[in-house]
Amino acid sequence: MTGVLRIITHIFFLYALLLIGNVLQEIFHLFIPGSVIGMILLFLLLKLGIMKLKWLEEGTSLLLRHLTLFFIPVTIGFMEYLELFKGRGLLLLIITVISTALVMGVGGAVSEQLARRKETQNE
Amino acid sequence: MNSWLAERKRRMNEIMIGIIAIVATVAIYLLILPIHKKIQSPFTQPIVAVSAIIILFLFLLDIPYETYMIGGQWIEFLMGPAVVALALPLYKHYDMLKEYVKPILVGVTIGAFVGVTTGLFMAKALGFDREVILAIVPKSVTTPVAISIGETLGGSLSLTAVFVVIAGVSGSIISPLIFKLFKLQGPLGRGIGMGSASHAIGTAASMDRNALEGSVSSIAMIISAIIVSFFAPLFVLLFL
Repeated sequence: MTGVLRIITHIFFLYALLLIGNVLQEIFHLFIPGSVIGMILLFLLLKLGIMKLKWLEEGTSLLLRHLTLFFIPVTIGFMEYLELFKGRGLLLLIITVISTALVMGVGGAVSEQLARRKETQNE
Repeated sequence: MNSWLAERKRRMNEIMIGIIAIVATVAIYLLILPIHKKIQSPFTQPIVAVSAIIILFLFLLDIPYETYMIGGQWIEFLMGPAVVALALPLYKHYDMLKEYVKPILVGVTIGAFVGVTTGLFMAKALGFDREVILAIVPKSVTTPVAISIGETLGGSLSLTAVFVVIAGVSGSIISPLIFKLFKLQGPLGRGIGMGSASHAIGTAASMDRNALEGSVSSIAMIISAIIVSFFAPLFVLLFL
């Protein structure tokens, strides 16, 4: 039982950081999402040693392990847009796949080239 | 008196529907996990399989999305905290990240730029509505961040999620082909490609292939989320 309580506490802590992120976004009119601000805050807290990893590891790992689960409800919203991909809408599907292929290929190739250059320099 | 009773009954019904939606979603998800482990097909990935099964159920039983979301919203509620949780892999892999900071940052930044601009310009050139274009722009980043970016852009959130899923699933399916075409041989290049293009869904596919590729992919997904949340509003402002 204490394990479950600990996990709930961890998740509440993450939620608190999310709320702080949201508040910061509103105050400073930032266009970065509050969740990403919360993530950067948590990273800084860990890096500066203010937070210890073990204080929130269990709950955090649990959320990360089941990251996919939390996307499912919003993905099911797809059912309301099936009409969109009929006829001309099929082009949207093609655009998305082409753009995805380019991101993967170009981004990956640039990284690999730069890494290889760095490695040959080191040798 | 009667209206009070009817209201009470409606409330009870909603609570029941909510509980059923949550339990069914989690149960189907837990059922699919071991099946995916065995079969390892892009189509058995939980995001694809579970969503498809539930959509099928809802259509067969003629239940609107809105009704499902009475329960679904409670699962969705955890999306925000889950994004905050992504600080953990970032922290754990910090040393490797620092070592390859330049290749990673440059690769992910160029990937983010390519993703935002090609989506925006192709959809605009083909004359699609503003609402659709806004939904395509953040497609390369993980759903909760894409949703937050969608909120900032003023686009439709469900539609944004739809394009995110298409980018994730299609990327996982075509990745072996892309690796060959662009000659991506190491875990660094592959991981950067997967995380930048196909976020968490791609990261899961990478993890299945190679642990290092998966770690790089999760780092790329996080950095890409940050960079795209800068790029998306900027390019929409400039070109739409």
